[in-house]
Amino acid sequence: MNPVLADIYSTVIPSMPFIIAAYALMWAVLLIYVFVSISGLKKTEKQIAVLEEAVAELKAE
Amino acid sequence: MTNKPVKLPEAGQWPDKVAPWALLAGIVLSTLGFLMAFLYAGPVNGAAVDGVELIGGQMVANKLLLSQKIFYFHMPVALVSFCALAFACYYSVRFLATKNQRFDTCAKVCMEISLVFVICTMITGDLWERFEWGVWWTWEPRLTTYLILMLIVIAYFVLRNAIDEPERRGVYAAVIGIIAMVDVPICFMITRLIPSGVHPVVLREGGMSGDMGMTVAVCLAGLMLVGFALYRFRFRQVRLQERLQALKDEVEILEEQR
Repeated sequence: MNPVLADIYSTVIPSMPFIIAAYALMWAVLLIYVFVSISGLKKTEKQIAVLEEAVAELKAE
Repeated sequence: MTNKPVKLPEAGQWPDKVAPWALLAGIVLSTLGFLMAFLYAGPVNGAAVDGVELIGGQMVANKLLLSQKIFYFHMPVALVSFCALAFACYYSVRFLATKNQRFDTCAKVCMEISLVFVICTMITGDLWERFEWGVWWTWEPRLTTYLILMLIVIAYFVLRNAIDEPERRGVYAAVIGIIAMVDVPICFMITRLIPSGVHPVVLREGGMSGDMGMTVAVCLAGLMLVGFALYRFRFRQVRLQERLQALKDEVEILEEQR
């Protein structure tokens, strides 16, 4: 390869892991937050089901 | 003088109807921004090389810095974190004025969104810095003020978890929320007050070329919409939890009365 071109592109390949990691980790952080929120929602839904049972028992008595 | 009833933010209001569409638009715009960063925005020149080459119809005499592509998401996530902090401050002030727990809930969710985007900013910035300057950290003014901001946001949650009594917790948290907002303009303006080679002033006339500005704008719009959708989703979930807790308390009282 032309040495001048090689010099121009010299930082492109070494920087790729950092660019990929930056974009991947950024979206990973956002997705983790979404998953935490969803798991919180599921936990709340389960608690609602328990509460509904408790209310039904109270009504039956 | 009549007291106007305070209009409280609640799950299921119009923003919740808009949120799924905002999320979809945010994902589309972020993807478009990502493609624009690599396919539309021109490469940034680094150090001069010993010679000149014709690339894509242009004479190039410098190293091409691909790592600068991180900038197209690094700056927008930082601006979204500032925006979330501004809303957290607004809700904190409303809480202090009304002592209504709903505003405390809104402020807490805003702070969570802010923390998520602060972490994104730190990750993207650190990886860029590690490649360009070979270090994971440098005590540069913008980095230092942003680190202080991150520590204040973390302190907000540490403080919340340390206090059980809701009103006292809300008041202390609101004060920290307002203090965090005070750091935002300092953090934003620091590159103008103390010029540094690491963080140039980009939001100014001639700071970015047209293609760079357009790409940043698309990424910013996309991430703002994603941030808004995340806020609404989390707010709905937290509100549901609060309503459930209130119902549980009522059921317990009824059981005790029997």
